[in-house]
Amino acid sequence: MATLLSHVLRRLRGLRRLPGLPRLAAEMPLRARSDGAVAGPLYSHHIPTSPLQKALLAAGSAAMALYDPYRHDMVAVLGETTGHRTLKVLRDRMRRDPEGAQILQERPRISTSTLDLGKLQSLPEGSLGREYLRFLDVNRVSPDTRAPTRFVDDEELAYVIQRYREVHDMLHTLLGMPTNILGEIVVKWFEAVQTGLPMCILGALFGPIQLSAQSLQVLVSELIPWAVQNGRRAPCVLNLYYERRWEQSLRALREELGITAPPVHIQGLA
Amino acid sequence: MAAPKSCALWSYCGRGWSRAMRGCQLLGLRSSWPGAPLSARLLSQEKRATETHFGFETVPEEEKGGKGDIAFRFLNYVQSQHQSKQKRQLRAQQNLSWEEIAKKYQNEEDFLGGSRVVVCDINKEMLKVGKQKALAQGYRAGLAWVLGDAEELPFDDDKFDIYTIAFGIRNVTHIDQALQEAHRVLKPGGRFLCLEFSQVNNPLISRLYDLYSFQVIPVLGEVIAGDWKSYQYLVESIRRFPSQEEFKEMIEDAGFHKVTYESLTSGIVAIHSGFKL
Repeated sequence: MATLLSHVLRRLRGLRRLPGLPRLAAEMPLRARSDGAVAGPLYSHHIPTSPLQKALLAAGSAAMALYDPYRHDMVAVLGETTGHRTLKVLRDRMRRDPEGAQILQERPRISTSTLDLGKLQSLPEGSLGREYLRFLDVNRVSPDTRAPTRFVDDEELAYVIQRYREVHDMLHTLLGMPTNILGEIVVKWFEAVQTGLPMCILGALFGPIQLSAQSLQVLVSELIPWAVQNGRRAPCVLNLYYERRWEQSLRALREELGITAPPVHIQGLA
Repeated sequence: MAAPKSCALWSYCGRGWSRAMRGCQLLGLRSSWPGAPLSARLLSQEKRATETHFGFETVPEEEKGGKGDIAFRFLNYVQSQHQSKQKRQLRAQQNLSWEEIAKKYQNEEDFLGGSRVVVCDINKEMLKVGKQKALAQGYRAGLAWVLGDAEELPFDDDKFDIYTIAFGIRNVTHIDQALQEAHRVLKPGGRFLCLEFSQVNNPLISRLYDLYSFQVIPVLGEVIAGDWKSYQYLVESIRRFPSQEEFKEMIEDAGFHKVTYESLTSGIVAIHSGFKL
């Protein structure tokens, strides 16, 4: 629904150049509430928040995420409330890339309703689709656990962060990292270098707090340098139209992105 | 707002409720408010108890509010009254005959002196939480837990001496019906007590309160209970509730007499009282 609306608005914006046409609502500055929040929801699930509320949410969600690591919704909220500037940068990066621009245009979503699991199952071993499915099975995760974006005050940026969340599992598959705490931290480091989202940086820095000394040692000496190197070398992973690359061999995709094999085998790997 | 929706809201709130309440929703003042209606009554009744033994013989009291905070305080009060009454009796009975002593042993000991509390709520989850609280705090006797709708109470007419409702009437779809039901189930001479959010009369405090309500409370709801929308609804429903005077008139319309109110904390909360005469 939001996609359709933005398509129409974009077309109409083009017509603006013709003389005599009135200024469109989309061109008007967004009305603000008295507390500084945007007036009215911009997309479904949107909750407009004032700057003060965003600050409180950021602080509260950060504290709660540290206190209770199972509150994934708090990590999501932290990302949404702190990521506005970075999301703009990411969005512009996507616009400049042809594949990324297509993603912004078509707004694909990854969920069990949009994925053709049967087709993915039938793909050959070693293909992205097949390996992604294996990753989901082995780690017993589902693509549907990503909560919808709520606190981003721009509907395109809301899609960008939603895409980032839904692509997270792809990154696990690309990097060959399981979903245990160590694997998650490695992926977070990769994402922090790739996206620059404050939430990723915070997660990468504070995630290791709960690790044992042994894991910490492996993490710092081998895994983090590897993740950072790959993150720097690879082009922006949000610019990959994964849905069109299911048949591509995982190894070929890794070569394309410059992602090498992990230096240490982490338990729980497929 | 339709009744079924508020039902769903409160069952949804049930689980997160205790977590969120722990998060000091209203600056920790909340814990002191349930004591207020009780103390208001206690002062007047204690005097009378010493004079006329008004006491609490067969005084069932209805409590509206699944978690039973007021019910527990009432039971505590009744128990302490009973204990002081027993002490006085003991002092007066130092020289009993053997027959009188034997008779005393035959009488069943009722620590509550016949008082009973009925806790009624529309939400099963709330009642469950209340029952757990009661067990945890050691309250076993004298409590009944009833599932019911304030607009249509499952009780006969003229049954209770006291009807209390704390932070509940705001969520009732038809407040006037709830008031009429309260009037119906009370005995003549019974007292209606309502603790509810009300209008703040001080402009400075009003602004601070608005700021806290709209900016902080939904955030706390999201962080602690993962539920922004319910707490947004909460602060909006508080604003929609009638003022002290308006609510007083609504209570009078339901048939109550001698209706008074007392504002607490500059009117953030008010206790309304009325009698069925």
